[in-house]
Amino acid sequence: MGKILIVDDTMFMRTLLKNILFSGGHDIVGEAADGAEALAKYQELKPDLVTMDVVMPKMNGIEALKAIKAADPAAKVVMCTAVGQEQMVKLAVKSGARGYIVKPFQAPKVLEEVKNVLSA
Amino acid sequence: MFDEEGYRKLFVEESRENHENIVNNLLALENGDDQQAAIDEIFRSAHTLKGMSASMGFDAMEHLCHSMEDVFSLIRSGRLEVTAPLTDLLLTCTDAIEGMLDAIEAGETPSDEQSASLVQELRAFAEEEEEGEQEPSPGVAASAGAPPEQAEEADGRPLYTLTVAVDPSSTMKDVRAMLLLQNLEELGTIHATTPSRELLEDGKFDGPFEVLIESEAGEDALRTIASGTEISLLALSTPQSLPAASEEVRAPEPAPSEPQIPPPQVQRVMKAEKSREIKNIRVDIQRLDRMMNLVEDLVINRGRLEQIAKKHGIKEFDEALSMVGRSVSDLQNLMMGIRMMPLERIFNRLPRVVRDVANHDGKEVEFSIEGGETELDRSMMDGLSDPLLHIIRNAVNHGIETPEIRKASGKPPKGSLRLTARRDKDNVVIDIEDDGAGIDPERLRKKGVEKGLLTAEAAANATKDELVGLLFEPGFSTAEAITDISGRGVGLDVVKKTIESLKGSIKVETEVGRGTKFELVLPPTMAIIDVMMVHINGMRCAIPVSNVVEVAQTRLEAIHRIGNSEAILLRDQTLPMHRLEDMFGRTERSDTLVVLQNDGRRCCIVVDSVDGQQEVVVKPLSRIAGNCRGISGITIPGDGDVVPVLDVNTMI
Repeated sequence: MGKILIVDDTMFMRTLLKNILFSGGHDIVGEAADGAEALAKYQELKPDLVTMDVVMPKMNGIEALKAIKAADPAAKVVMCTAVGQEQMVKLAVKSGARGYIVKPFQAPKVLEEVKNVLSA
Repeated sequence: MFDEEGYRKLFVEESRENHENIVNNLLALENGDDQQAAIDEIFRSAHTLKGMSASMGFDAMEHLCHSMEDVFSLIRSGRLEVTAPLTDLLLTCTDAIEGMLDAIEAGETPSDEQSASLVQELRAFAEEEEEGEQEPSPGVAASAGAPPEQAEEADGRPLYTLTVAVDPSSTMKDVRAMLLLQNLEELGTIHATTPSRELLEDGKFDGPFEVLIESEAGEDALRTIASGTEISLLALSTPQSLPAASEEVRAPEPAPSEPQIPPPQVQRVMKAEKSREIKNIRVDIQRLDRMMNLVEDLVINRGRLEQIAKKHGIKEFDEALSMVGRSVSDLQNLMMGIRMMPLERIFNRLPRVVRDVANHDGKEVEFSIEGGETELDRSMMDGLSDPLLHIIRNAVNHGIETPEIRKASGKPPKGSLRLTARRDKDNVVIDIEDDGAGIDPERLRKKGVEKGLLTAEAAANATKDELVGLLFEPGFSTAEAITDISGRGVGLDVVKKTIESLKGSIKVETEVGRGTKFELVLPPTMAIIDVMMVHINGMRCAIPVSNVVEVAQTRLEAIHRIGNSEAILLRDQTLPMHRLEDMFGRTERSDTLVVLQNDGRRCCIVVDSVDGQQEVVVKPLSRIAGNCRGISGITIPGDGDVVPVLDVNTMI
């Protein structure tokens, strides 16, 4: 059970993820709609974990991840990705992402990954 | 919690935003605006749509968006060029997406049939470009040749061999392996993997693999890390000494074939966006409507309370009531403000329409939109959309000439079409202006007679304004040929009716060879208006104050009969006079005149008395009553009476 910040540019995805995470007993402390907002929210809310969409306007997920990691090297970020984005996710992992979940989200997998990353 | 319906609504709403983004950026692309920005935006929106539709299980839409994303991925990397046929195809795809969204909104699930052929066509485009551009296979050969590093001596730290398997159902087993290795690296030093780390990270492995790691973290920590998501630890052994590692990779080297991510352009944006919080919420429009109804009820009941108060004259009550009254007014104003939406919402669809019509007709049109931020009540938006569409189509279809004709008449080959919106006092004014051929009044004159709308005599004497007014008569169309774009059986008469039903007015100015300008004047909201209450033959009636010019006394000697109708000489003006007998019955005591005006034209009606001015809520007539000419709706003032609101537009 952790404090989670959800980053995605659509409210649809945020709501979907929020409900999945909520059902797993997590506390959703905030949401952000782009990378820049994500960084600001991260510094403000200090969440235990961030779910980070990769493709977003203004500042994409990878850049946001790097910025968050620069601000807090211990940050736990899980990338939200889709089939076909392997290269992007690998880049994210090299930049310090701790996990990834694949759209369309399957609740058990999402919860498992979040739990594992939180406990690691 | 959120239910299926809630997701669907949110899905449709955000999908529409992304759909619109794609369309507008496709058009921007075609116009030669900032290419890279447009391509990035389309790619992002297609990607977002794909993800959302996959989450909702709308496979047909997912496939289509996926194919679009693929195409744009190629375009983005410069391997595919945006050609006119490709733009057309992509626009057709956006139409299909819109159709699917409509279906989804109506509770259906789109089928693959709708999109399968488009997906095929998109693939054809993508494959065409990929021919001969074989994907360079990422460095298997290279990595095999890499000399294994000499295993270091473990200086006292325990060594472990982990045998790990990635769940075969994993969507990205390469990333999983990579994550595991990276996580393990935080606990110690990886000396070797079998197969090699490069192969693992490229996903080129089947079944379990081994990792040799030197770590002080302890067995438990290793077990935790090595049994993560989609990863299972099959075995963990503690060899005493390092085995001869056949292959080893320590630091992950960037694979040369990996696409480079564009350099970050981030710092500037970050600062500006830092303070942005989610300060907006989305509210279902139906809930707003209900809220508006409640506010309207409050307004009505406030009026009722005021009447009761007047009867009893209790000072304390009056004071309290005036406080309540102020709150109700504030609430009402606030509510009206909330319901306002920028006209952009409907303007945004139009560039696409202009493009399609222009392409179809072989015309070149520079379309510009100004004042999209002007706000209008949302209830007006829906009604305004079709008339605007019609006028815009007409302008391109009939107004703007082909480049050849334009050149011949000394105009630039590219026609100009301007859509502007602005706030003018209490009204919103929307202009649609083209620099096309204009409308020839002589042709209107001829046609008016042909259609039987004018007698030959009337036609000969008709002024230009009167002739242009014919355009709004039912069944009058000047187009020589009915095209499949403009000629949809809806004429300007319907446009005018629609605008009038929104309490607005429409005007047209045209000059042969110079162009045509339509001007729509609309009240920003139509729910609550100022009216003048009058009595006609003992019955109450409300007249919108915006239509009232003045109130005067009738002098019998000033009334003249002209044929079947009456007119009155008021100061130096002769005004048609109506008694509204067919609506309210004959009355004898009427000696008060109310001068009305609409769109610059005036007339007057006879009333018994004028009761005063009041702010009222206008409710539309129920469907049972149907459309009553002369009445635009009803209102219920404080005493609970039902009072008709006069529709001045139809009287003049």
